[in-house]
Amino acid sequence: MTLDPIHPAFSVVTLAIPLFVVTIILEIVLGRFGKAKATYEFRDTATSLMMGLGSNIVGALIGGFAAATAIYVYIHYHLLEIPMTAWWAWVAVFFLEDMTYYWFHRFSHERRFWWAAHVNHHSSQHYNLATALRQTWTGEVAGTWLLWLPLTLIGFPPAMLAIQKGISLVYQYWIHTEAIRKLPRWFEAFFNTPSHHRVHHARNPRYLDANYAGILIIWDRMFGTFVAENEAEPPRYGIVKNLGDFNVLRVAFHEWMGIAKDLAGSRSIREVFGYLFGPPGWSPDGSRDTSHTLKAKWLAREAAQTAVKPTEPETVPLVAE
Amino acid sequence: MKGVDTVINPLLLQFGGSAVAVALMVGIAAWARISRPVAPLDPTTARTLLAIDYPDLVPDVVWISADTRGAIARAGKDALVLYRLGDSWVTRHMPWDKALKAPIRSGHIRLKLADPSAPMARLAVSGINPWPPEGLKEPQG
Ligand SMILES: [Zn+2]
Ligand SMILES: [Zn+2]
Repeated sequence: MTLDPIHPAFSVVTLAIPLFVVTIILEIVLGRFGKAKATYEFRDTATSLMMGLGSNIVGALIGGFAAATAIYVYIHYHLLEIPMTAWWAWVAVFFLEDMTYYWFHRFSHERRFWWAAHVNHHSSQHYNLATALRQTWTGEVAGTWLLWLPLTLIGFPPAMLAIQKGISLVYQYWIHTEAIRKLPRWFEAFFNTPSHHRVHHARNPRYLDANYAGILIIWDRMFGTFVAENEAEPPRYGIVKNLGDFNVLRVAFHEWMGIAKDLAGSRSIREVFGYLFGPPGWSPDGSRDTSHTLKAKWLAREAAQTAVKPTEPETVPLVAE
Repeated sequence: MKGVDTVINPLLLQFGGSAVAVALMVGIAAWARISRPVAPLDPTTARTLLAIDYPDLVPDVVWISADTRGAIARAGKDALVLYRLGDSWVTRHMPWDKALKAPIRSGHIRLKLADPSAPMARLAVSGINPWPPEGLKEPQG
């Protein structure tokens, strides 16, 4: 058997589209009849699905540049001959691509420039299968695909990487659900699951910047970013500052607009660099919150609460009923 | 042109099919009515919701909008703004003095939030429930 190492024989994600449609309808219907935990707000659903469709269209329009670069690097510079028909090559690409995904995802949360391209995926206050399709429109432009180039350079054929990336994306689809509480312990130990990824989508301080996994959760455990879902504290989904409406253009571009606004007011190279590549929420005087400060404040509150139970301050509510 | 057609036509078919599927799924989501239940806002609920995003601030005044879909709370020099989006909530803060001076148009206070991710909050106001609340019309010194 021979496989074209340059052009993938099929697109895993395109093949999975009917599966997406059927399972989203199934999740809604099961939720409707009380057979599964699922909440859908139809305008939120529309925004998620429009982002998915738009991402597909943007990919078709400009995705060719990243693909062409990978093909060029492979043809001219690849170091090893890795046959697409060898089983070990698929095992190797499975682990190496998944680790690459982990670091891509971690960068996408820890540095504002790449967060601007990824934040849209986290902008829904719902967590359901439709949220999974809330995909980026600007990832290609932000250049995150460069992180996969070393694998091409090693010698993994572009078609093989494209197929493995597709498998990873489709794997990550089904974990966007509240319908599955926990899976068997051995599975939760090695694989990314609905429970682990709910933590990733949560805005509770204790859950921020955790569980970047694609398929395997082992990378979070290895690199110190794993946080288990705590039954006592259900995740609140969304971003630290939730979006003010359901406008898809706002979902796709709001953080880029925020960056532009901050850059326009910058007074030094340090500020420009900080606004672009600092953690999301970075500000010259530290007046804005970052994940780090939010977590620190939460820990301080937890510590204070266990030390002494504070008394309620007197408040005078002024209400017009 | 035949070569271009063989690429573009399947793509258009895929996008067209996906658009129809999107409309179908959104329709089913609307039919199912499985959004989160949201009770009308009262001062206690508003405080609880604001405490999630502003745990270190304790408002001394809470004003509820006429349609109970929004609130403005005063915490020191800040106005904490809360409003409903679908079955969820959005919060932002702005200077209290600016909130006091926010214009009212077509029965809604228009609060400029100076944030591209939520540029404006529109909260319903009525004669029974005026903004600014009585006794709080003057900016704080
Ligand atoms: Zn993420
Ligand atoms: Zn996700």
